[in-house]
Amino acid sequence: MSRVLILAASLALSACTLPPFERTPPERPAPPAPKPGPSGSGPVLTVPPDVTPLPPGQTPSEIPPPTTRVPKERPRVPPATLSAPSKALVSQAQAQRRKGDLPGASVSLERALRIEPGNPLLWIEMGRLRMDQRNYPQAESMGRKALSTSVGDSTTQSAAWQLIADSLKARGKNPQAEEAAQKARELSTY
Amino acid sequence: MARRRRRSGTRRQLERGFVVLTLLLVVAALVLVLVLDRRVTAQFEGRRWTLPARVYAQPIDLYSGQQLSAKRFAAELERLGYLAVAKPDRPGTYRRRGDEVSVHVREFRFADELQPARALRLRFAGEAIESVQDASGSEVPVTRLDPMLIGSIFPIHGEDRIVVSPAEVPPLLPEALKAVEDRKFETHRGVNPLAILRALFVNVRAGQIEQGGSTLTQQLVKSYFLDSRRTFRRKAEEAVMAMILDARFEKADIMNAYINEIYLGQDGQRAVHGFGLASQFYFGKPLAELNLEEIALMVAIVRGPSYYDPRRHPERALERRNLVLRVLADQGVVGADAAERASKRPLGVGEGGRRAGSFFPAFLDLVRRQLRSDYEESDLTEAGLTVFATLDPLLQEKAELALAEELERHDKSGRKAAKGLEGVVVVTTPQTGEIVALVGGRRASFDGFNRALDARRPIGSLAKPLVYLAALETGRYTPATVVDDAPIDLKLPNGDRWKPGNFDKKVRGPVPLVRALTQSLNLATVDVGLDVGLGRVAKTFEQLGLEEAPSELPSMLLGATNLSPFEVTQLYNTLANGGFRSPLRAVRAVVDEEGKALKAPELEVTEASSPEAIYALDRMLIEVMNRGTGRPARQSLPPELVVAGKTGTSNDYRDSWFAGFSGAHLVVAWVGHDDNSPTGLTGTTGGLAVWSRLMGSIVTSSFEPMLPDSMEHRWIDYYTGRETSPYCNGSAVSLPFVEGVWLEPSIECPPGAVEPVEGAYPGPAMVPDGTVIQDAPAQVP
Repeated sequence: MSRVLILAASLALSACTLPPFERTPPERPAPPAPKPGPSGSGPVLTVPPDVTPLPPGQTPSEIPPPTTRVPKERPRVPPATLSAPSKALVSQAQAQRRKGDLPGASVSLERALRIEPGNPLLWIEMGRLRMDQRNYPQAESMGRKALSTSVGDSTTQSAAWQLIADSLKARGKNPQAEEAAQKARELSTY
Repeated sequence: MARRRRRSGTRRQLERGFVVLTLLLVVAALVLVLVLDRRVTAQFEGRRWTLPARVYAQPIDLYSGQQLSAKRFAAELERLGYLAVAKPDRPGTYRRRGDEVSVHVREFRFADELQPARALRLRFAGEAIESVQDASGSEVPVTRLDPMLIGSIFPIHGEDRIVVSPAEVPPLLPEALKAVEDRKFETHRGVNPLAILRALFVNVRAGQIEQGGSTLTQQLVKSYFLDSRRTFRRKAEEAVMAMILDARFEKADIMNAYINEIYLGQDGQRAVHGFGLASQFYFGKPLAELNLEEIALMVAIVRGPSYYDPRRHPERALERRNLVLRVLADQGVVGADAAERASKRPLGVGEGGRRAGSFFPAFLDLVRRQLRSDYEESDLTEAGLTVFATLDPLLQEKAELALAEELERHDKSGRKAAKGLEGVVVVTTPQTGEIVALVGGRRASFDGFNRALDARRPIGSLAKPLVYLAALETGRYTPATVVDDAPIDLKLPNGDRWKPGNFDKKVRGPVPLVRALTQSLNLATVDVGLDVGLGRVAKTFEQLGLEEAPSELPSMLLGATNLSPFEVTQLYNTLANGGFRSPLRAVRAVVDEEGKALKAPELEVTEASSPEAIYALDRMLIEVMNRGTGRPARQSLPPELVVAGKTGTSNDYRDSWFAGFSGAHLVVAWVGHDDNSPTGLTGTTGGLAVWSRLMGSIVTSSFEPMLPDSMEHRWIDYYTGRETSPYCNGSAVSLPFVEGVWLEPSIECPPGAVEPVEGAYPGPAMVPDGTVIQDAPAQVP
């Protein structure tokens, strides 16, 4: 039972340590890293990312033994959102894009990325701008960067795949583009 | 008649001779004037038209949620020369009351927009900004402070000075200069014979040179050619050149050149030229914001920057400043009351700690190089460029401090090999690839040799993560794959034998990949590298951002490759950025005089490795910090902060490296001797100590890479690589595997087993005997 309490406490703590603009609410999976404290700091409880938090009263022995492996259900993450400063900078960038000031838009988006470098929506936005600039390989890269920062968030992943599909299509890579577009469609129906 | 004729003939000859002589003299004088004209005009034009590029640090963004305390914000404002006042109603002033700061931000032209001056009210909650409001009380989503000027450079040649345009000069300054130094400036023709005569008279009477009769123009000429010999010839040349300048150029241009040129003090080894830099040096704020007594002090200093040094000789400086104030009042430049009030005020010179603006030669050198490689040369020769750089002054200060303190600790250690060490620290924000700090040595100054960019040293075990990444990318290796830590005796193509060993000379036998990396085992690494293939490993260096792949020798597996700290930073930035390569940047944008942005390289990311391989490697690098050679850093870091990294030590302990990252910062540290002699330090005792001192002193965030969809975490035994249970084994470590991969189960504690004892969770264990694992030197033939 004490173990469960520690677990609950650590989850609560991990929620508290979220930076103010963490785009995922506290129900995201616990940080995956085992984090031993300095020697002598006592036991540190860690939760591997694929272990879903135990419901109260359940003991670790009730976890199905890992040897009987079933394709695991990925924790779903709610769609990413922009923080207030990012939102302001993205709308500034969009206004600049409409005026044709593409370098200016890039500067604004970079500013947002410095505030929230892990926000996939900003990478997608940057990729869309690169499409306007006809820098298709970078547009695809930005899409992939967005994928790597949006695991479990099907809405955002779908948008990232759509960006990748568009950048492939713009370069005439139609079969790959179709594959990417297919992924975008599958993810959007989640 | 004949006599008369003869006499007249002689006279004629004399006359002719005189004419010829005069002509010759005139020609000689003309030639001299032409020569002098060429010299002085070239100098003047050169200075006038190559207005240097001004380089700014990154601005501080202000938004609700920004990690910044009221105290640190106030310190930043002070650093930018904002004045603490009761009522902040003009640009450049602020007021702090506990957790609330009102500030009147200065106008500033950024690369993307002109940000007008505006009044802001910020509320803080602990370590973060809670709200940012404008004068009308409505919330401002995001804005920024005007950035700190960190230097002025000539992108094509090199020099560091703060050049001001006439618009940035307070009108009082030229008036005061004229009143005190050269009253006839507007009317004379470069020299003032009356003033010279007066000076001559005074000097003859005093028996020594007490007074100079030089005009501002003459002083300017003198400063151009840096020759203070008071010979008659020099004086005559100067006078001629002053007349030439006066004839050729407008008075206003000459005044502006003077303001930017004249010598005003000494900052260590760096001469302070020009009022722009001097204003930063003495008062820590822009020239435009100086008040009456401060301008008077600067004008006082002109006469003798070391004699009237306000820091070393405050009484002399104060006396002369008040004399200047009286002269200004007498001449009607300022009112008598104002002068009287000003002369009652203290000197107001910043304390010794305040440097002239700031002095970041290693970083500015990088800026200069990147400008030259990334921009059109024709754009760079344009006058008045503004460069927006990536430097974070606060971080830079902390990095300088961390290195200085560590080197001092080694100096005092009493070990001869550790005396007089040098070091480098490079800090980036990995996701944007920006260089936020660059320290090139224990002293900020350097003469041409920029260690961070030019010192190429063997990287030792810093090479290992690349070997393991190459292995993981083949798909044949996982963190649990058992590799052989066994003696190696290799015959090299040149006939030499290569017999590397481990740090402790021991051989471990079969070990899982994760242990081989965290304990930096040399023999196991060579086993992996040779199996994967040298070509593949060399290619991984290129993939991660090295311009030229290292030579494919077995010794490269243990880091015999020579790389600069900057190149190492590029490689590790890709590891810190989830396998995405971003070219490291010191420059965000460059705009010309009209505020138009030059064509510039934009933020780039390129996927350099498979997400699965990079994730597995990154998790192993976290284990290096938890239980391997990086563990000592834990003592300096907050317990919950997750970091990853790797030590590096070259042969005979000549180079001590550490490269490691949190979620927000990558720090690469190198410690060694310039003459390449042994230091007696491992990567752990040298580089890591600098690294953890710095990482422990900054605001940063945990490194939390996202688990790729196709992977899952499983518990394996650190010593055998077999799958185990976290609940009954002290040596279990959670590592990622591609879903469904088969792992051999542990015999003593198979997965799913639960420790019979109820109660405390054992936690992931350290190496049982508690010894600190040292890094293994490269052992290169």
